[in-house]
Amino acid sequence: MVIAQLVVNGVLLGGVLALSALGFNIIFGVMRVVNLAHGDFVVLSAVFCAVVFAQTNLNPLILLPLTGGAGFVLGALVHRYLLHRLPGEIASAEASSLTLTFGLSFLLAGAGLALFGGNYRSVPFLTGAYQLDGLSFPQARLLAFVAALALAVVLGLFLRFTAIGRAIRATSQNVEGALACGIDTDRVRTISFALGTAVATASGTLMSFIYNLNPQMGVLFTINAFAIVVIGGLGSYTGAVVGAIILGLAQSFSSYFAGATLSEAAPYILFILISLLLPSGLLGRRTA
Amino acid sequence: MRRILIIAIPIVALLAVAPNRLNGYYLNLLYITVLYVGLAYGWNIISGYAGYFSFGQIAFFGIGAYATGLIVVNLQWHWILAALAGGLIACALSVPMGYVMLRLRGPFFAMGMFGLAQTSRVVITAIPATGGGSGLFLPPGSDLRSIYYWTLAVTLGAIALTMWIDRSAFGLRLQALREDEQVAGTLGIDVTLEKIYAFALSALIPGLLGGGYIWFLTYIEPDAAFSPRLDLQSVVMAILGGVGTVWGPLVGGVLMTQIAEALWARFPQIYLMIFGGLLVALLIVLPRGIVPALTSRIRRSV
Repeated sequence: MVIAQLVVNGVLLGGVLALSALGFNIIFGVMRVVNLAHGDFVVLSAVFCAVVFAQTNLNPLILLPLTGGAGFVLGALVHRYLLHRLPGEIASAEASSLTLTFGLSFLLAGAGLALFGGNYRSVPFLTGAYQLDGLSFPQARLLAFVAALALAVVLGLFLRFTAIGRAIRATSQNVEGALACGIDTDRVRTISFALGTAVATASGTLMSFIYNLNPQMGVLFTINAFAIVVIGGLGSYTGAVVGAIILGLAQSFSSYFAGATLSEAAPYILFILISLLLPSGLLGRRTA
Repeated sequence: MRRILIIAIPIVALLAVAPNRLNGYYLNLLYITVLYVGLAYGWNIISGYAGYFSFGQIAFFGIGAYATGLIVVNLQWHWILAALAGGLIACALSVPMGYVMLRLRGPFFAMGMFGLAQTSRVVITAIPATGGGSGLFLPPGSDLRSIYYWTLAVTLGAIALTMWIDRSAFGLRLQALREDEQVAGTLGIDVTLEKIYAFALSALIPGLLGGGYIWFLTYIEPDAAFSPRLDLQSVVMAILGGVGTVWGPLVGGVLMTQIAEALWARFPQIYLMIFGGLLVALLIVLPRGIVPALTSRIRRSV
């Protein structure tokens, strides 16, 4: 029974983590940029929702369009005015985008501290739990899970069936091929970064239901997203979902069997092991 | 070389007599500056010269700190001997760690090292002898002046080491593998071995510095010894000064410590935000760092 409950906890957690990882994955897939500020976008949005909830008691789901939209605009601005300006001639473009998003992460964490202070916050609503066959499903986690899943499906459909979605997938598969087909890859990059950031901030709203967060905890979510994407295979949509469930299970099992302190290291150890042993992930392409 | 000595000797002499003249606050600031410069030099070897960006060299700072503390508490060694041993232990541990971690590249190595530092913190917290999360109090054994001299010696050593690397065949081999590891391999460079050498040096320096830092705090606890802030700030300093240059970490470290300190004193609420904004702005304006920008300007005007 304990095992079954741990599986439930892990899967519910994994669903929310999957959404955040999908945002990270879009940005990496299209731009080959590891966005070290990813987790800070997540946490900033979560803390914002918690502050609004404390003031107004508003159902935080209503804030989803706002946080998502703000993330989209912010992401577009960051790409247009910062990432896009990095000179390409530097020894490795990878290192310069890494340092830029690294600085951005400081900036966002600092902005969060200045705006909201350093307190731990969460959205304390839906504190009950459904009971089913002796298993407990906390309402807040269930709601976050369902909402994350719904958003992930919408995102998947968007990438699969719209013209912009096709352009995004084409650019992530082969930049020159996409250019040859008349795709404005610069514009696609901006849209992808904006979309990835929007997904991050939207997932942050859902994280606020289940986590107690302060603005300096962003790096935890960056490494979570990175670990998930590495487990599932960089650039793979289904891979990210599978990776998230695996990470969710790893966290729920390790915190039960090894204690809260040691389970803190679970995402890190998993990340290192998978990058060493399965460099292209479980479902990734064998290239790059 | 002679020109460098003409500038360096008076500066080193000034730094050596400084504790006699400075009061507590300024000696503190000087110590922190020298510490950050040393950490930035340590990072610069593996990440600047060899091109392996690491966000986890603090692992070796923490290991050095804990090894020093445990040796003093349990074996009652003099703290300087213990700090030396702590640095060597960190360096020794870095060899197997590097052998595994250096198979990763780019962002995988960077975040993998961050994970390794966090994992080291968790593992050390789990060992009962370290006092766990509440940490370890140290017997009185040192004062700020001795800690300062120790840190100054390590940092000067790190600068000398970097000057040597910059001119040596070893440094050239590192730069070759930074530009293209495969090509470097076909030229007969044993890339695995060279990377591990660079990694071990980049572990020795923070390991030695960690052994001094605990006396500054008078206790050790996991969050202070493996402080991400210490790590990330020293990385920022090296990046702003100029990655893979001899003088970048010095310029970046001295400049940024003063800026960070002034901001911290005046605007504690928005300190981190300004610091991050400054980093982003400087990266856009001077993407290769301050030192390369200055030297290319001087060369152009000559």
